[in-house]
Amino acid sequence: MNPWNRFIICILAVSGSTLHAQIALNVNAIPRQVEVIMDGISIGETPIRNQQIIPGPHNFEIIKDGYAPLTYSLIVNPAKAVNLDFYLNPIYKIKFTTEEEGLTFELNKNHQWSDKKIRLELEAGEHILIVYKKDKVVDEQTILVDEPKQFKYFFKKKLSD
Amino acid sequence: MAVILLSIFAGGCSMFIIRSYPEVIYNDRQPLISVTYDYGEIEVHLPLVYPRYRPEQIAFQVYSRGDTTFPLISVMQGPLDEIVLFLPHGVLDVEDSTNLIKIMPQDYDFRNFYVPFKGIGAGRIDLPVNAIDFKPLIVQGVVTLAQNDSTLSGVALSVQVFPATLARTKSDENGIFEMGIPGEFMKSPNIELIAGSNLIFKPFRQKLDYSNTKGIYQDVRIGPSKTLEGPIYLTNKKYVHFRENPDVGSDTKFLLDKGESVAVKRMTRGEYFGDIEVLLQDGKLVVFDGWVVKEDLTLMQLENIFSKESNHEPVE
Repeated sequence: MNPWNRFIICILAVSGSTLHAQIALNVNAIPRQVEVIMDGISIGETPIRNQQIIPGPHNFEIIKDGYAPLTYSLIVNPAKAVNLDFYLNPIYKIKFTTEEEGLTFELNKNHQWSDKKIRLELEAGEHILIVYKKDKVVDEQTILVDEPKQFKYFFKKKLSD
Repeated sequence: MAVILLSIFAGGCSMFIIRSYPEVIYNDRQPLISVTYDYGEIEVHLPLVYPRYRPEQIAFQVYSRGDTTFPLISVMQGPLDEIVLFLPHGVLDVEDSTNLIKIMPQDYDFRNFYVPFKGIGAGRIDLPVNAIDFKPLIVQGVVTLAQNDSTLSGVALSVQVFPATLARTKSDENGIFEMGIPGEFMKSPNIELIAGSNLIFKPFRQKLDYSNTKGIYQDVRIGPSKTLEGPIYLTNKKYVHFRENPDVGSDTKFLLDKGESVAVKRMTRGEYFGDIEVLLQDGKLVVFDGWVVKEDLTLMQLENIFSKESNHEPVE
């Protein structure tokens, strides 16, 4: 059979029937040596090669100290192999300081403090900082965390003003 | 300088210790995840043999999970010694042999058939050799007792091309039978259906003509018909003389086989006068009367029509 006929036959074929064959699971992650938990059971550290799984829904948890844990649900399709690449978000240590008096700080509408100096562990990326003075919002800004650093807060005018 | 030292002394070491926020602050950023699949291919090898001759073309259809509504693929090929079919990964049932290849030679004399097989996710499947052969010739029908139309179970039936017996069966509990014989006999003029060899009656025989068909429906009515009146006697041996008159030297009309029915009307001390039925070639029954020696006849007992030599179930 010539390659063109072979191609046409494959194209003509209708996929979609359920398959319960084993599928090779390959998992990579950045950083390396990340523990992978599939459906509640640890399957080792990355890189993972040729872990046999069946098609259907699977839950993955990726855990490593110093990085934000990651959970991911995937319905694995019938295939020869499925390759998963995870990029974990690092957690940076930030030293937060301010000279301002009487302020309360709130990050991501969930975490509050009134200290003028505090050590924070923040997931890399953008965080929303809201500043209160006597229960009134006096400032709002977005902090970009992309490295361990010292963050010194200066009072600015509220953005909405 | 003194003031600084005094301050440190008064404040203690705690003035250098900065409090840590008690938990990690996440921003719930969408994780970066990449998912890719590697797809394989299924390669099905189906070797074929051709015991008679090769049809010009053969159509193949592949079905998954016994669903013959929609074929996965349809391919028309010449009569090769091996057919190779390519399927995408994961379309076959890999747990049971519910996948099917339907093979349809493009010639009326050849049979269509299914090849079941168990699938794999990807890779090569080698199926056993299959023969592309003629359609079987089928004969089916119902066996009834001609006297009262009741169906007869356990009646032995066979299809013969003398001297070979091509198929044997027995009628089921409803009197139904079906037999298949190899298609290579389709042109044979001497195929014969024989029914009732295990009964007390003369066996039913019928030529089967498959020159224009692959299936014949042939009902079998066995034993004396309703038209024979009076007590029925059966000939108890072969070559019984059925004569014009009772006197010695009278002409013999027929030589009766064992199990022939004679409806007796009159009798003398040594002879019985009665009717017999003769089946003509066109299927019509013709009644003749004549004389038979008394010792050559036995009164028919409808309670058990199976011959003593056979071990068959009673009449239904």
